[in-house]
Amino acid sequence: MSVSTPLPPPIRRRGWGPWLVGAGVAAIIGWLAFSGVGNALVYYLTPTELAARGEAAIGQSVRLGGLVLPDSVSGSATDLTFVLTDGETEITVHSSVAPTSSFREGAGAVVEGVLSPDGVFEAEEVLVKHDENYVAPTQGQLPAR
Amino acid sequence: MLAGIGHGAVVIGLTVSLFAAAASVLAARSGDIGLATAGRRAVYVTCGLSAIACGVMVVALLGHDFSILYVARNNATTTPPFYSFISLWAALEGSILFWTLLLTGWSSLLLYRYRSAHPALMPWAAAGLAVVAAFFFAVMTWAGDPFVSVTPVSAEGNGPNALLQNHPFMGLHPPLLYLGYTGLAIPFALTVAALVTRRLDAQWLTLVRRWTLVPWIFLTAGIVAGAWWSYEVLGWGGYWAWDPVENAALLPWLTATAFIHSAMVAERGRSLRTWTVILVTTTFVLTLLGTFLTRSGVIESVHSFTQSAIGAWFLAGVLAALMVGAGLVVWRVGDLAGTGPPPALVSRESAFLLNNLLFAGLAFAVLFGTLYPLVAEALSGERLSVGAPWFDRVSAPFFAALLFLAGVGPALPWGAASWRTLRDRFVIPALVGLAFTTLGAVAGLRGAAALLTLGLAGFSGAALLREVVRAARGRGRSSGEGWIRAAWGVATRNRRRYGGYLAHLGVLVAAVAVAVSASGSIQATAVLTPGQSASLAGYTVTHRQLVREPLAADPRVFETRAELDVSGPQAGMVRPALRDYPNSVAAIATPTVMTSVGEDFYLTLLAYDPDTGAVTLRLFVNPLVAWIWVGGAVVVLGAGFAIWPGRRAAATRTGS
Repeated sequence: MSVSTPLPPPIRRRGWGPWLVGAGVAAIIGWLAFSGVGNALVYYLTPTELAARGEAAIGQSVRLGGLVLPDSVSGSATDLTFVLTDGETEITVHSSVAPTSSFREGAGAVVEGVLSPDGVFEAEEVLVKHDENYVAPTQGQLPAR
Repeated sequence: MLAGIGHGAVVIGLTVSLFAAAASVLAARSGDIGLATAGRRAVYVTCGLSAIACGVMVVALLGHDFSILYVARNNATTTPPFYSFISLWAALEGSILFWTLLLTGWSSLLLYRYRSAHPALMPWAAAGLAVVAAFFFAVMTWAGDPFVSVTPVSAEGNGPNALLQNHPFMGLHPPLLYLGYTGLAIPFALTVAALVTRRLDAQWLTLVRRWTLVPWIFLTAGIVAGAWWSYEVLGWGGYWAWDPVENAALLPWLTATAFIHSAMVAERGRSLRTWTVILVTTTFVLTLLGTFLTRSGVIESVHSFTQSAIGAWFLAGVLAALMVGAGLVVWRVGDLAGTGPPPALVSRESAFLLNNLLFAGLAFAVLFGTLYPLVAEALSGERLSVGAPWFDRVSAPFFAALLFLAGVGPALPWGAASWRTLRDRFVIPALVGLAFTTLGAVAGLRGAAALLTLGLAGFSGAALLREVVRAARGRGRSSGEGWIRAAWGVATRNRRRYGGYLAHLGVLVAAVAVAVSASGSIQATAVLTPGQSASLAGYTVTHRQLVREPLAADPRVFETRAELDVSGPQAGMVRPALRDYPNSVAAIATPTVMTSVGEDFYLTLLAYDPDTGAVTLRLFVNPLVAWIWVGGAVVVLGAGFAIWPGRRAAATRTGS
């Protein structure tokens, strides 16, 4: 290859070749990444907000916060059904993931999952709290993550 | 009394740091050595004053002085001394205080070290660092006073955040992280000094590189310790969730890592200096932005940001630093223009450029994902987050390309590579990579990402080892030394290069561990009454009994633990628990991790029934997780090896 022999001094003062190739690679990766951001969003909703979305909410990943309706919990730890409410709207939640012991009737809970076509919210995750001052949500208020 | 001393130290600290800045600027403009000395000594005084303020806070915490609001909120009469001490950085005001101590400490170290060197640069650097210190003192004076008094004085105190008094790692992770964060103010100050004095020369670059690498080591260690803490404490079986708090630490790490690499190209000629200045400035701005994001509550909600004045202060600080950096670059654009021949497409220079694009691109993607929810909430009022799967998907190609470059870059020659060189240096590593992937597939490793990571790590690891062997063989042949002695001789003669290789090897080990643990992790949930058993991947867990009792170290805390017998590849009695703290709504998980070379058996107690003694457990078998921490330690070791003063450098210093 000719690259092993000394080249004459380049006419251009700066070399943009590697930068252009690199920028191209970065652009392709960037495009792959950002074209999918719409599907990756997880909305934080209250039951009322989720209900207001109607059919559009089905299948969309959502973080749903509310209070566990007293006397609504049934089933075993890994096959749990309960109702989340914000005081206006009630949504039935089914979870195959065992909740932590802070899960109590009448207390606040946050679940992540999707609304299935039959109107039941399928929880896939019980969230990890990472914040400093977690305050239990009150009625009608969207709980902190 | 204590509060008065602490508050006084903060206010005097603000005054002295403003004096230090003014004296240093005047000294820099006039060349007056007396003024420069006064400015430098004033910086030492600010360090002393922050030490006094921190000392006062520690005394108040250890003595449970609840007349200080911060102590009343973050300490209780029953808090053990160790957690009382580390509550200095358990909440907002205290961590800003601690932060100021570390910043002024770094500044004093720099100025003392070069008290008789770099007379043109150091006064400006002192001025820059004093301004940053003044900013933090001002925040404590007006927005986040750590020494606010409170009446009536509580008799008991609230106690530290439950999550933060649950594991001794809280004594390790924040200081390491803050040492990294605050230390990154130094390269920024040095760069401001170089831009103002138009001394963007090799000397400046060497200084900036060294003073970036030292905080970088702490930042790396802090991030790894944070992941470890998350794994050991939070009980969700993982170590990285792309949480905004985690991203805030990762962002400056990415740009600082990019800089450490670009500096090696910049040092070889007069190219890339604009880019270097941009990276150094961005890194510093990202440390401030990280503080703003994690400390203002803005991540929770755009609206909670207005509840604390500190958020506004930090936002102003971020913007000011950005404007200073951008303004200086525009002002000195003539001095920054690059010269030198264009690099060949296949050369080490190109590998470094691509590396920088990848690190910068990854930083941009992570920043985008972290800020997107803020922008969306501000614009549309909807609250949302960008899910971890998005971050995984976006970062994966960047990480894969960087793993590839970790072996390619060091093995490529400067200048231009011939086909012959490429074949010589990369055929064997490529075969090793293929072998790794094949072995992984045969061993039952699932997932394209994990197999690709294994192959790339095998390739890069082989390329790096090949370089070491090549150099050691050359030395051994000429000196007649044995194998290991020759390799050690080669490495200590060029610490920077071989320290870098070692850091790369650590990255490869950690990358394989991350990929394999992510794809090979299995989990199960089990509900057991006493006497019942559950099995997962060869492990059998038998529930003996449920015990609930106050914690010996702090009787206000109730621990409910499941006493379990584990048999299988690892065996023994374990006690995963949930702890109820008086100041926490949620019970705090205290998982148990049984670690072996090949895998972790991770047990966490999710829930219990006090009447029947039944427990709900989640069990994980996480392969290779321990190697993430090992890899992180090797990275830190490699970087430390690279900056350790060599024999030659030490000799010249004692001689001068």
